[in-house]
Amino acid sequence: MFNVSYRITGSFDDAEDALQEAFISAFRNLESYRGDATFGGWLKRIVVNKSINLLQRRKHESLPENEDWDLAEDTDSTTYMDGLSVEKVRDAIQQLPDGYRAVLSLYLLEGYDHQEISEILGISESTSKSQLNRAKGKLREYLSKKI
Amino acid sequence: MKDQFEEFVRSNRNAFDDKEPTGKVWKNIETSVFGKARGISFWQNITIWRAAAAVFMVLSAYLFIEKYSAVNTDSVASANTAALKEFTDIEQFYFEQISHKTQLIDDFQRAEGLNGFTHDFKQLEAMYMVLKEEMKHHPSQKVKDALVLNLLVRIDLLNQQLHKLEDGDYKEEADPKKKASKEV
Repeated sequence: MFNVSYRITGSFDDAEDALQEAFISAFRNLESYRGDATFGGWLKRIVVNKSINLLQRRKHESLPENEDWDLAEDTDSTTYMDGLSVEKVRDAIQQLPDGYRAVLSLYLLEGYDHQEISEILGISESTSKSQLNRAKGKLREYLSKKI
Repeated sequence: MKDQFEEFVRSNRNAFDDKEPTGKVWKNIETSVFGKARGISFWQNITIWRAAAAVFMVLSAYLFIEKYSAVNTDSVASANTAALKEFTDIEQFYFEQISHKTQLIDDFQRAEGLNGFTHDFKQLEAMYMVLKEEMKHHPSQKVKDALVLNLLVRIDLLNQQLHKLEDGDYKEEADPKKKASKEV
Protein backbone atom coordinates (compact mmCIF):
# COMPACT_ATOMS: atom_id res chain seq x y z
CA MET A 1 0.00 0.00 0.00
CA PHE A 2 2.84 2.34 0.83
CA ASN A 3 4.49 1.71 -2.53
CA VAL A 4 1.22 2.45 -4.32
CA SER A 5 1.09 5.80 -2.59
CA TYR A 6 4.79 6.52 -3.07
CA ARG A 7 4.57 5.98 -6.80
CA ILE A 8 1.63 8.34 -7.15
CA THR A 9 2.82 11.14 -4.90
CA GLY A 10 6.49 10.76 -5.79
CA SER A 11 7.47 11.75 -2.27
CA PHE A 12 8.20 9.65 0.77
CA ASP A 13 6.63 12.11 3.22
CA ASP A 14 3.52 12.61 1.12
CA ALA A 15 3.17 8.85 0.74
CA GLU A 16 3.28 8.41 4.51
CA ASP A 17 0.66 11.12 4.97
CA ALA A 18 -1.58 9.57 2.33
CA LEU A 19 -1.23 6.09 3.81
CA GLN A 20 -2.05 7.40 7.24
CA GLU A 21 -5.08 9.35 6.02
CA ALA A 22 -6.25 6.35 4.01
CA PHE A 23 -6.11 3.83 6.85
CA ILE A 24 -7.82 6.17 9.28
CA SER A 25 -10.46 7.05 6.71
CA ALA A 26 -11.00 3.35 5.93
CA PHE A 27 -11.53 2.63 9.59
CA ARG A 28 -14.03 5.44 9.95
CA ASN A 29 -15.92 4.60 6.79
CA LEU A 30 -16.22 0.89 7.20
CA GLU A 31 -19.95 1.03 6.64
CA SER A 32 -19.32 2.07 3.04
CA TYR A 33 -17.57 -1.26 2.41
CA ARG A 34 -20.30 -3.55 1.17
CA GLY A 35 -18.31 -6.47 -0.08
CA ASP A 36 -18.74 -5.72 -3.78
CA ALA A 37 -14.94 -5.65 -4.15
CA THR A 38 -12.26 -7.50 -2.22
CA PHE A 39 -11.35 -5.79 1.02
CA GLY A 40 -7.79 -5.27 -0.20
CA GLY A 41 -9.08 -3.72 -3.42
CA TRP A 42 -11.36 -1.41 -1.48
CA LEU A 43 -8.56 -0.32 0.82
CA LYS A 44 -6.14 0.13 -2.08
CA ARG A 45 -8.65 2.34 -3.84
CA ILE A 46 -8.85 4.55 -0.75
CA VAL A 47 -5.05 4.75 -0.67
CA VAL A 48 -5.00 5.67 -4.37
CA ASN A 49 -7.67 8.34 -3.92
CA LYS A 50 -5.95 9.87 -0.90
CA SER A 51 -2.65 9.92 -2.78
CA ILE A 52 -4.21 11.61 -5.80
CA ASN A 53 -5.92 14.17 -3.52
CA LEU A 54 -2.64 14.91 -1.85
CA LEU A 55 -0.86 15.23 -5.18
CA GLN A 56 -3.56 17.60 -6.42
CA ARG A 57 -3.37 19.64 -3.23
CA ARG A 58 0.41 19.96 -3.40
CA LYS A 59 0.87 20.40 -7.11
CA HIS A 60 -2.08 21.99 -8.80
CA GLU A 61 -1.50 21.70 -12.51
CA SER A 62 0.41 18.46 -12.48
CA LEU A 63 -2.36 16.03 -13.37
CA PRO A 64 -3.20 15.42 -17.01
CA GLU A 65 -5.66 17.71 -18.66
CA ASN A 66 -8.54 16.44 -20.65
CA GLU A 67 -7.41 15.84 -24.17
CA ASP A 68 -9.59 13.97 -26.56
CA TRP A 69 -6.93 12.85 -28.91
CA ASP A 70 -4.81 9.81 -28.99
CA LEU A 71 -1.24 9.09 -29.89
CA ALA A 72 -0.23 6.24 -32.11
CA GLU A 73 1.17 3.48 -29.99
CA ASP A 74 4.88 3.13 -30.25
CA THR A 75 5.85 -0.50 -30.00
CA ASP A 76 9.50 -0.11 -30.91
CA SER A 77 10.86 -1.12 -27.57
CA THR A 78 13.68 -3.41 -28.59
CA THR A 79 16.40 -0.74 -28.66
CA TYR A 80 16.41 -0.05 -24.93
CA MET A 81 15.45 -3.47 -23.66
CA ASP A 82 19.04 -4.67 -23.29
CA GLY A 83 20.43 -3.93 -19.87
CA LEU A 84 17.02 -3.00 -18.50
CA SER A 85 16.87 -3.43 -14.76
CA VAL A 86 14.20 -2.90 -12.15
CA GLU A 87 16.29 -0.16 -10.50
CA LYS A 88 16.68 1.75 -13.75
CA VAL A 89 13.00 1.51 -14.55
CA ARG A 90 12.06 2.50 -11.01
CA ASP A 91 14.31 5.56 -11.14
CA ALA A 92 13.01 6.49 -14.57
CA ILE A 93 9.41 6.24 -13.33
CA GLN A 94 10.27 8.55 -10.44
CA GLN A 95 11.61 11.12 -12.91
CA LEU A 96 8.33 11.25 -14.85
CA PRO A 97 6.13 14.30 -14.43
CA ASP A 98 3.41 13.70 -11.82
CA GLY A 99 0.53 13.21 -14.23
CA TYR A 100 2.40 10.72 -16.41
CA ARG A 101 3.71 8.87 -13.39
CA ALA A 102 0.23 8.55 -11.87
CA VAL A 103 -1.33 7.13 -15.04
CA LEU A 104 1.58 4.80 -15.76
CA SER A 105 1.71 3.48 -12.19
CA LEU A 106 -2.02 2.94 -11.97
CA TYR A 107 -2.08 1.12 -15.30
CA LEU A 108 1.13 -0.85 -15.32
CA LEU A 109 1.80 -1.54 -11.65
CA GLU A 110 -1.57 -1.34 -9.94
CA GLY A 111 -3.45 -3.07 -12.74
CA TYR A 112 -6.28 -0.60 -13.21
CA ASP A 113 -7.74 -0.30 -16.71
CA HIS A 114 -8.24 2.97 -18.55
CA GLN A 115 -11.88 3.21 -17.54
CA GLU A 116 -10.97 2.93 -13.85
CA ILE A 117 -8.08 5.38 -14.25
CA SER A 118 -10.39 7.86 -15.93
CA GLU A 119 -12.74 7.63 -12.91
CA ILE A 120 -9.92 7.92 -10.39
CA LEU A 121 -8.28 10.93 -12.03
CA GLY A 122 -11.42 12.54 -13.41
CA ILE A 123 -10.14 12.48 -17.00
CA SER A 124 -11.39 10.84 -20.17
CA GLU A 125 -10.38 7.34 -21.19
CA SER A 126 -8.63 8.64 -24.28
CA THR A 127 -6.62 11.07 -22.15
CA SER A 128 -5.63 8.18 -19.93
CA LYS A 129 -4.49 6.20 -22.99
CA SER A 130 -2.55 9.07 -24.50
CA GLN A 131 -0.93 9.92 -21.18
CA LEU A 132 0.17 6.31 -20.83
CA ASN A 133 1.72 6.37 -24.30
CA ARG A 134 3.50 9.61 -23.58
CA ALA A 135 4.70 8.32 -20.22
CA LYS A 136 6.10 5.25 -21.95
CA GLY A 137 7.73 7.48 -24.53
CA LYS A 138 9.37 9.56 -21.81
CA LEU A 139 10.55 6.41 -20.03
CA ARG A 140 12.04 5.15 -23.27
CA GLU A 141 13.84 8.45 -23.58
CA TYR A 142 15.22 8.32 -20.03
CA LEU A 143 16.21 4.68 -20.28
CA SER A 144 17.99 4.93 -23.63
CA LYS A 145 19.96 7.93 -22.32
CA LYS A 146 21.18 5.94 -19.38
CA ILE A 147 22.27 2.84 -21.25
CA MET B 1 -1.34 -2.74 -25.22
CA LYS B 2 1.37 -5.34 -24.81
CA ASP B 3 4.99 -4.58 -25.45
CA GLN B 4 8.31 -5.80 -24.15
CA PHE B 5 8.54 -2.99 -21.65
CA GLU B 6 5.15 -3.83 -20.15
CA GLU B 7 6.12 -7.48 -20.09
CA PHE B 8 9.32 -6.61 -18.24
CA VAL B 9 7.50 -4.54 -15.64
CA ARG B 10 4.78 -7.14 -15.13
CA SER B 11 7.20 -10.03 -14.80
CA ASN B 12 9.19 -8.08 -12.20
CA ARG B 13 6.15 -6.56 -10.55
CA ASN B 14 7.07 -7.42 -6.97
CA ALA B 15 10.53 -5.90 -7.28
CA PHE B 16 8.91 -2.48 -7.71
CA ASP B 17 7.54 -2.53 -4.17
CA ASP B 18 10.74 -1.66 -2.36
CA LYS B 19 9.70 1.16 -0.05
CA GLU B 20 8.49 0.91 3.52
CA PRO B 21 6.93 3.60 5.67
CA THR B 22 8.53 4.57 8.95
CA GLY B 23 7.05 3.26 12.19
CA LYS B 24 5.48 6.61 12.99
CA VAL B 25 2.75 6.01 10.38
CA TRP B 26 1.39 2.95 12.17
CA LYS B 27 1.74 4.71 15.48
CA ASN B 28 -0.25 7.70 14.22
CA ILE B 29 -2.93 5.46 12.77
CA GLU B 30 -3.21 3.59 16.02
CA THR B 31 -3.34 6.82 18.02
CA SER B 32 -5.96 8.25 15.74
CA VAL B 33 -8.14 5.16 15.66
CA PHE B 34 -7.83 4.09 19.28
CA GLY B 35 -7.20 7.48 20.83
CA LYS B 36 -4.03 6.64 22.68
CA ALA B 37 -0.40 6.15 21.72
CA ARG B 38 1.04 2.79 22.48
CA GLY B 39 4.12 2.77 20.28
CA ILE B 40 5.95 0.18 18.26
CA SER B 41 7.06 -1.78 21.27
CA PHE B 42 3.43 -2.73 21.84
CA TRP B 43 3.41 -4.76 18.64
CA GLN B 44 6.62 -6.49 19.46
CA ASN B 45 5.70 -7.23 23.04
CA ILE B 46 5.12 -10.94 23.45
CA THR B 47 3.22 -10.40 26.70
CA ILE B 48 0.47 -8.73 24.72
CA TRP B 49 0.20 -11.79 22.49
CA ARG B 50 0.03 -14.03 25.52
CA ALA B 51 -2.61 -11.81 27.08
CA ALA B 52 -4.58 -11.79 23.82
CA ALA B 53 -4.49 -15.58 23.64
CA ALA B 54 -5.60 -15.82 27.28
CA VAL B 55 -8.42 -13.35 26.73
CA PHE B 56 -9.69 -15.31 23.76
CA MET B 57 -9.55 -18.57 25.64
CA VAL B 58 -11.60 -17.10 28.48
CA LEU B 59 -13.96 -15.44 26.04
CA SER B 60 -14.61 -18.60 24.08
CA ALA B 61 -15.10 -20.61 27.27
CA TYR B 62 -17.63 -18.03 28.40
CA LEU B 63 -19.41 -18.07 25.07
CA PHE B 64 -19.49 -21.84 25.10
CA ILE B 65 -21.06 -21.96 28.56
CA GLU B 66 -23.53 -19.26 27.64
CA LYS B 67 -24.49 -21.03 24.44
CA TYR B 68 -24.83 -24.35 26.23
CA SER B 69 -27.17 -22.91 28.85
CA ALA B 70 -29.28 -21.05 26.29
CA VAL B 71 -29.43 -23.80 23.72
CA ASN B 72 -32.98 -24.93 24.43
CA THR B 73 -34.55 -21.55 24.94
CA ASP B 74 -33.90 -19.67 21.73
CA SER B 75 -32.92 -21.57 18.62
CA VAL B 76 -32.25 -18.47 16.47
CA ALA B 77 -30.06 -16.89 19.09
CA SER B 78 -28.26 -20.17 19.59
CA ALA B 79 -27.57 -20.43 15.86
CA ASN B 80 -26.01 -16.97 15.96
CA THR B 81 -24.04 -17.80 19.05
CA ALA B 82 -22.89 -21.02 17.43
CA ALA B 83 -21.62 -19.09 14.43
CA LEU B 84 -19.89 -16.62 16.69
CA LYS B 85 -18.45 -19.39 18.81
CA GLU B 86 -17.17 -21.17 15.73
CA PHE B 87 -15.38 -18.02 14.72
CA THR B 88 -14.08 -17.36 18.21
CA ASP B 89 -12.73 -20.90 18.36
CA ILE B 90 -10.95 -20.46 15.06
CA GLU B 91 -9.65 -17.10 16.17
CA GLN B 92 -8.46 -18.49 19.47
CA PHE B 93 -6.66 -21.33 17.75
CA TYR B 94 -4.88 -19.03 15.32
CA PHE B 95 -4.04 -16.53 18.01
CA GLU B 96 -2.34 -19.28 19.96
CA GLN B 97 -0.39 -20.25 16.85
CA ILE B 98 0.57 -16.64 16.18
CA SER B 99 1.52 -16.10 19.79
CA HIS B 100 3.70 -19.20 19.81
CA LYS B 101 5.45 -18.42 16.54
CA THR B 102 5.95 -14.78 17.41
CA GLN B 103 7.63 -15.83 20.61
CA LEU B 104 9.95 -18.15 18.70
CA ILE B 105 10.91 -15.35 16.33
CA ASP B 106 11.24 -12.94 19.20
CA ASP B 107 13.66 -15.32 20.90
CA PHE B 108 15.73 -15.43 17.73
CA GLN B 109 15.96 -11.75 17.04
CA ARG B 110 15.48 -9.66 20.10
CA ALA B 111 17.50 -6.71 18.91
CA GLU B 112 15.88 -6.52 15.52
CA GLY B 113 14.41 -3.22 14.36
CA LEU B 114 11.67 -2.55 11.84
CA ASN B 115 12.14 -4.75 8.79
CA GLY B 116 10.11 -6.17 5.95
CA PHE B 117 8.69 -8.83 8.18
CA THR B 118 7.43 -6.57 10.97
CA HIS B 119 6.13 -4.10 8.43
CA ASP B 120 4.00 -6.68 6.63
CA PHE B 121 2.91 -8.09 9.92
CA LYS B 122 1.81 -4.73 11.23
CA GLN B 123 -0.04 -3.92 8.07
CA LEU B 124 -1.94 -7.18 8.45
CA GLU B 125 -2.57 -6.31 12.09
CA ALA B 126 -4.03 -2.96 11.12
CA MET B 127 -6.24 -4.58 8.50
CA TYR B 128 -7.35 -7.13 11.04
CA MET B 129 -8.48 -4.42 13.45
CA VAL B 130 -10.45 -2.75 10.69
CA LEU B 131 -12.08 -6.06 9.77
CA LYS B 132 -12.80 -6.88 13.38
CA GLU B 133 -14.67 -3.62 13.74
CA GLU B 134 -16.68 -4.46 10.64
CA MET B 135 -17.47 -7.90 12.09
CA LYS B 136 -18.79 -6.21 15.21
CA HIS B 137 -21.17 -3.93 13.34
CA HIS B 138 -22.07 -5.98 10.28
CA PRO B 139 -21.19 -9.63 10.81
CA SER B 140 -21.18 -11.61 7.59
CA GLN B 141 -19.57 -14.69 6.10
CA LYS B 142 -17.38 -12.52 3.88
CA VAL B 143 -15.92 -10.56 6.75
CA LYS B 144 -15.42 -13.76 8.71
CA ASP B 145 -13.58 -15.30 5.76
CA ALA B 146 -11.44 -12.19 5.44
CA LEU B 147 -10.57 -12.35 9.14
CA VAL B 148 -9.59 -15.99 8.93
CA LEU B 149 -7.59 -15.34 5.76
CA ASN B 150 -5.78 -12.51 7.53
CA LEU B 151 -4.84 -14.84 10.38
CA LEU B 152 -3.68 -17.53 7.96
CA VAL B 153 -1.56 -15.07 6.01
CA ARG B 154 0.02 -13.91 9.24
CA ILE B 155 0.79 -17.48 10.26
CA ASP B 156 2.25 -18.09 6.83
CA LEU B 157 4.45 -14.99 7.23
CA LEU B 158 5.59 -16.21 10.62
CA ASN B 159 6.37 -19.64 9.18
CA GLN B 160 8.38 -18.09 6.36
CA GLN B 161 10.28 -15.99 8.86
CA LEU B 162 10.93 -19.00 11.06
CA HIS B 163 12.22 -20.99 8.08
CA LYS B 164 14.45 -18.10 7.16
CA LEU B 165 15.82 -17.94 10.67
CA GLU B 166 16.28 -21.68 10.83
CA ASP B 167 18.17 -21.63 7.53
CA GLY B 168 20.51 -19.04 8.97
CA ASP B 169 19.47 -16.35 6.49
CA TYR B 170 18.89 -14.00 9.34
CA LYS B 171 22.54 -13.13 9.67
CA GLU B 172 22.69 -12.23 6.03
CA GLU B 173 19.55 -10.14 6.29
CA ALA B 174 20.86 -8.28 9.27
CA ASP B 175 23.64 -6.89 7.11
CA PRO B 176 22.16 -3.57 5.93
CA LYS B 177 23.81 -3.66 2.51
CA LYS B 178 22.69 -7.15 1.69
CA LYS B 179 19.32 -6.41 3.17
CA ALA B 180 18.80 -3.43 0.90
CA SER B 181 19.53 -5.48 -2.17
CA LYS B 182 17.39 -8.36 -1.03
CA GLU B 183 14.34 -6.41 -0.03
CA VAL B 184 11.89 -5.92 -2.82
